[in-house]
Amino acid sequence: MAQQFRPTSPHLSIWRFTLTMSLSILHRILGVGLYLGTVLFVLWLGAAALGQSQLAAVQGFFGHPIIQIGLFLYTWTLFHHMAGGIKHFIWDVGAGFERTGREAITWATLVFSVLATLLVWALFVWF
Amino acid sequence: MATHTGNKGTGTFIRQRVTGVINIVLVGFLIWLVVSLAGADRAQMVATFSHPLVWIPALVLIGAALVHMRIGMHEIILDYVHEPRLLALSTLLNTVFTVVIGIIAAISVLVLAFGG
Repeated sequence: MAQQFRPTSPHLSIWRFTLTMSLSILHRILGVGLYLGTVLFVLWLGAAALGQSQLAAVQGFFGHPIIQIGLFLYTWTLFHHMAGGIKHFIWDVGAGFERTGREAITWATLVFSVLATLLVWALFVWF
Repeated sequence: MATHTGNKGTGTFIRQRVTGVINIVLVGFLIWLVVSLAGADRAQMVATFSHPLVWIPALVLIGAALVHMRIGMHEIILDYVHEPRLLALSTLLNTVFTVVIGIIAAISVLVLAFGG
C-alpha cells in the first residue's frame, strides 16, 4: 500500500510576503466569504418564497447595523474577488507578469474594489 | 484517489473560468436585483421575479456561482486537508452545502416567479 500522506512543501512559513502573494491569499479568503455569504441570499429568497411575515422577519434581521456592516463588507468582497478574477484572466493569457505590470494590476484591483463598493453604497444606500 | 481532481484538471480549470465569466457578466444584474428589491414586500418581489428576464438570469447566476464556489472550496480543501478520511468528509460536506443552497435558492426563485 502506497503511503497515504503525500509530502508537502512549506509555503507560508518560508516565503517573503509580496504584494501579489498576499492578494492571492486574500482572493481565497474572500472566495470563502462569498461561499458562506450565499446563506444570506438563501435566507432572503427562502423567506420571501415562504410568505410575507417570514420576509418581514428576515428584513428586520438585515436592517440590523452589524448586518449592514456585514453587507457592506460583502459588497467589497464581491467586487474584489471579481477584480482578482479579471486579473487572473489577464495572467491566463500570459500578460502582465513583468515586475511593474503585475504589481500595477494588483494595486488596480484594490483601487477598483474600494471605489466600486463606495460608489454602489453611496448611490443606492446612503444618498 | 477519487477525491483528487488530478484526472480531470483541465475540465475543472475551464469550468472555473467559464463560470467566472458568467458571474462577471451577471454581477450588474445581481446588484440591480438586490438594490431594487431591498426592503420590498413579497408582492413587489413576485412582480419582479415573474419576469423571464429576471428569473432566468437569476437561475443562471445561482448555477454558475455555486459551481464556481464548489470548485474553489475543493481547491482549498485539496491544499490543506491531507488526512484521507477528513479529505473525503470535507469534500462531501462541500458538495452537500452547495447542493442544499442550490435547491433552496432555485425553488425560492421558481416559487416567486410562478407561485405568486
